[in-house]
Amino acid sequence: MKRRALTLNQKLAAVALALGAVALFAEPHRGPYVKLDARELALVVEEEVDHVTAPELAAWIVEGRADYRLLDLRTEQEYAAYHIPTAENVQLTGLADYPLLRNEKIVLYSEGGIHSAQAWMLLRAQGYAAVYMVFGGLDSWKDEVLFPSLPADADAQARAQFERAAQVAKFFGGEARVAGDAAAPTAGAELPKLTAPPPMPGPATPVAKKKKKEGC
Amino acid sequence: MMTPLFKYGLFGEEFSLLVAFVLGLGFGFCLERAGFGSARKLAAQFYLYDMSVFKVMFTAIVTAMLGVTYLGWLGWLDLDLVYLVPTHLAPQIVGGLVLGVGFVVGGYCPGTSVAALATGRIDAVLYALGILAGTLVYAEVYPAIKGLVNANAMGQVTLPEVFGLPWGLVVFAVVVIAVVGFWGATRIERWLGSRP
Repeated sequence: MKRRALTLNQKLAAVALALGAVALFAEPHRGPYVKLDARELALVVEEEVDHVTAPELAAWIVEGRADYRLLDLRTEQEYAAYHIPTAENVQLTGLADYPLLRNEKIVLYSEGGIHSAQAWMLLRAQGYAAVYMVFGGLDSWKDEVLFPSLPADADAQARAQFERAAQVAKFFGGEARVAGDAAAPTAGAELPKLTAPPPMPGPATPVAKKKKKEGC
Repeated sequence: MMTPLFKYGLFGEEFSLLVAFVLGLGFGFCLERAGFGSARKLAAQFYLYDMSVFKVMFTAIVTAMLGVTYLGWLGWLDLDLVYLVPTHLAPQIVGGLVLGVGFVVGGYCPGTSVAALATGRIDAVLYALGILAGTLVYAEVYPAIKGLVNANAMGQVTLPEVFGLPWGLVVFAVVVIAVVGFWGATRIERWLGSRP
């Protein structure tokens, strides 16, 4: 007795059933688990290409650049009290669900540098390619941008640099200090009020919201 | 379909329109080749003597579903990045019924009507005018029905999430439903075809 050959449709149905049966064990979502390329990350950390210094960030803000997202990882109260202009407030736990694009330049900062470093690792692990940290965090922002100080034994070059820093400090509502005359610890310095955001030179360029274009 | 490339800025708005045009041409060609450029073939679905539409649609669903599942499983596709049309249960049931009535009466669905228009069918011209008129009417009455349109917002959800079932189980169940459906559809075609 000869068995009747299967038609094409029956073969396709069999293939679909087989694939469907194997798919019973499939877990296509990555979920909260991540995969890391340890060597690549170690290299990035070693070369410190993941850092943005506070004066660099200050220059970006003064220029009105809009090609980055600045994320403040501190608590809402701390954010409300003071934050670097243009920063958005995100908690570490909310980072996974925060609307970020994987190709965006993301700049993180926290009080010191630990939380931003940890968030950096989380984001890199999830495939965000361009993640940076403000070196030294908000502490560094205060010391180097808002209240820069000039050591007493500074040479001419350092003095010229300090003049520029003083202007930037003024722009952000801070104040430059020369060591010795005030001797006030920066920790005690009053942070600029947020009610008067620093005016942008020329026409302020609003952060361009990326048009959402999705669908089938 | 081309969203990830578009989103990551690999090409701009103009080029994305060009890509959409090429994809649309391919889609239309396949519809025409499948015979869906004819209102007779499409209407036959609702009289149950030709179940091609059901089979084609379900085949597409199963193919895409298996493809997405396996690509996600292999780690080649990030399913979290795939955009889903947000679910609004009641409005989408109402909308589906309206579309279904239009499908039976007009003999086309929006996609096939454009394919039929491209081959110069006169009924498709009237159908396209109907689409334009319907769009205008919808835009005019939208303020009045806004509440219904946006009711039951469930966000971008999938069946495994709604029913709390494992992804793989839902995939397998849909494949089984499809295969049983194809078998049943063929039986119905034969039965109706053999009647005088």
